[in-house]
Amino acid sequence: MQETRHQFRELLKGLEQQTLSALDLVIGQLDRALEAVSYQDVELAAMVVADDDRIDGRYLEVHQGVLSLLARQAPVAGDLRIAAALLHVIRCVERMGDQCVNIAKLVPLSGYEAPKDKDILDAIERMGQAARTQVGEARDAFAGRNVELAKDLVRQDAEINALNRKIFRRAVEVGDDLEMREWAMFMILVARCLERIGDNTVDIAEQVVFVVTGLFRELADASATSSESHLAGA
Amino acid sequence: MIPPETTSQEQVDMSTSGGRSEQTSGDPSERSSGAPSEQSQAAPDMSALGVREGAGHAIKVAGLHAYYGQQHAIKGINLDFPANEVTAIIGPSGCGKSTMVRCINRMHEEIPGARAEGSVTLDDFDVYAPGVDVTSVRRLIGMVFQKPNPFPTMSIFNNVAAGLRLTGTKADNLRERVHRALRAVGLWNEVKGRLDAPGIGLSGGQQQRLCIARAIAVEPEVILMDEPCSALDPVATLKIEELIDELKERYTIVIVTHNMQQAARVANSTVFMLDGEVIEHAPTNTIFTTPHDERTERYVTGKFG
Amino acid sequence: MSAAERIQALAPVSGRRRYTDTMMRGLLLAATIVALIPLVLVIYYLIKRGVGSWGGSFFTSDPNGNFFGNPGGIRSALLGSLEIVGLATLIAIPIGVGVALYLTEYGKQSLFANVVRYFVDVMTGVPSIVFGLFIFIVLVLAHVGGNFTAWKGSVALSLLMLPIVVRSAEVVLLLVPSELREAALALGAPRWRVVFRVVLPTALPGLVTGSLLAIARGMGETAPLLFTTAGAFGLTFSLSQQMNALPLQIYNDILSPRNVVVDRAWGAALALVTLVLILNVVARVASQRSRMA
Repeated sequence: MQETRHQFRELLKGLEQQTLSALDLVIGQLDRALEAVSYQDVELAAMVVADDDRIDGRYLEVHQGVLSLLARQAPVAGDLRIAAALLHVIRCVERMGDQCVNIAKLVPLSGYEAPKDKDILDAIERMGQAARTQVGEARDAFAGRNVELAKDLVRQDAEINALNRKIFRRAVEVGDDLEMREWAMFMILVARCLERIGDNTVDIAEQVVFVVTGLFRELADASATSSESHLAGA
Repeated sequence: MIPPETTSQEQVDMSTSGGRSEQTSGDPSERSSGAPSEQSQAAPDMSALGVREGAGHAIKVAGLHAYYGQQHAIKGINLDFPANEVTAIIGPSGCGKSTMVRCINRMHEEIPGARAEGSVTLDDFDVYAPGVDVTSVRRLIGMVFQKPNPFPTMSIFNNVAAGLRLTGTKADNLRERVHRALRAVGLWNEVKGRLDAPGIGLSGGQQQRLCIARAIAVEPEVILMDEPCSALDPVATLKIEELIDELKERYTIVIVTHNMQQAARVANSTVFMLDGEVIEHAPTNTIFTTPHDERTERYVTGKFG
Repeated sequence: MSAAERIQALAPVSGRRRYTDTMMRGLLLAATIVALIPLVLVIYYLIKRGVGSWGGSFFTSDPNGNFFGNPGGIRSALLGSLEIVGLATLIAIPIGVGVALYLTEYGKQSLFANVVRYFVDVMTGVPSIVFGLFIFIVLVLAHVGGNFTAWKGSVALSLLMLPIVVRSAEVVLLLVPSELREAALALGAPRWRVVFRVVLPTALPGLVTGSLLAIARGMGETAPLLFTTAGAFGLTFSLSQQMNALPLQIYNDILSPRNVVVDRAWGAALALVTLVLILNVVARVASQRSRMA
């Protein structure tokens, strides 16, 4: 004997699976974009740009699916919160995908044989790793409805923000070489994209808390943390 | 229990509220339109009933137990129904929602072998106090049933007047009160030309509105509704829901419904009952977005019964 | 298989079914005809033998006991029947409806109510002659208010009619939807008002039909009248005297050696049946009219 509203539950689960696997797609995109940055791989970068169509398509699918679910199945309570959260999360996914594309687009612009500053490159790599970890954890937090993990993402995001500021300062001091300066500017832009990806994972974390508790709270106020750390002189 | 100044106040207001004359030519709702269309449907209009003195009336249920013979149907319920609000009662079949509501106007004890204990207070008056006249209680707490039940041998007019006549209420302004009640439920335009036609000749939705007019013609404080839209089509249902929204300005309303979307649409607060007990009582918004009890969550999301 | 093929495949079976169907129809029709034959024959005989007496002073003159000459008509019998049954109705119907009201509205399933129902059912099976004998012993032999009188006949008839009225009234009252009672109670009406202003008016058409059927039954009973009213020839309107009635008249006349008297009996029988028929038609028309209202 099937549980009541079997079809509805299957639909909702399906939409959640689609969203979560879209996060996996983002992780893949991020990996390849970072690799393209590290090795100046223009072809890989082009692949990343082309593959974003998949993420955009997934966004439309989930969006349509949730609308249809709302119209036909009238979800309430916990199911309604999940549906609303999925809309939010898939939006974050789409934005993250766009950020990966932005990163990829910066690769050919930064030159074929660009001079590299080790500090900046290190920081970018660490940022990339952190961002990748955060996306993975956001996915796990949502799938497991793990509020603790979600809150931890805020803490991790602070590190990305710190690295972003560090890269900026380093780029300012990077030297007089024109090509070096140019390259450093592009790295700032890359860092910014990674920082945005981090913010999106925090958004997803907020949705996890919302689904579980029904409360929506901003887990981190961007303006507050940056001013705090300014004062702390990190 | 109706304070005498209310009645005379209403009579005074009726004469000064202007435009509510009996002749159709003097009716402002017709004067404003060009050619009065026989089937035009006026929105329910509570102002037709005149000004009402004083705040609404709240109901407090305390320690209510109800039995059908040996079967313990209601197991100790405490509930507050705030004045001038719509409270919906939801729950699976057999949870006792209809029983509980029928205990409020003491209809439960009309069933052979059924009894109830506890207290149900309308403001400060306990309807279960010893020596209380049950018929007086029911004049203050009206009821609308699932299946529209106008009296088949009576005309539309007589149906609405039935409440006053059956209770032996002397009313000098009987015609006025009937007309006002019909206006208040938005039936006036549809039936004003055929008040002598039989009550059962109307459509289902109109019959139900007729029953509501009949209930409010005796000027109760509270209106209980036991699945009033179950037997109606969706359009008629929405009209009744709109009417309920208007009615709450004057009355306190308790509505039992098995249609959760209806509870979500009309009620200020919702009560979830299960097996004769109240599981959760919260603002409707809370029940349908973040219910506190696991069982409420499972019921409203359709995980059971 | 296509739809057409499936229908083709079904065809032979439906042929067999059609045959069975026609057979059953034929059998049922035959049974109906068999049942109708005696009914038609009775009516035929009644009309054939009775209609000849109708006419002239059949309805305007009283029967006389003469052995020769004009035997007279059936006026006193006709009017007597109407009077006696009229009084019986006045007794049986209010009491019968009252009992039915008690059973449905107040007694319901209580022990007392069930006992009453049981006894009423028993009463419907009591042979009518027993009612006549009962009244004979209790009222006639005891010389209560005279010997044989019309009103004692009415009492006997009312005993006969009572259980019919009670049973049919109870059925009709139970058919009144409980929602109507609930609605009236919920308005704050006391129970007696609910009964008299809502339940009774709603049940009225059915009550009328049931009463008319009881009256029709009362019209035709002979045995109770034999020991109570005993019959008379002359026209009398006083209920405290012996009175004529159609069944009594028929009973007296049918064994007469005079043919004209026997014919009169047939005429009276036809008149009785016609009267009952008229009552039935009136009952049906009345109930249909109120159902359509």
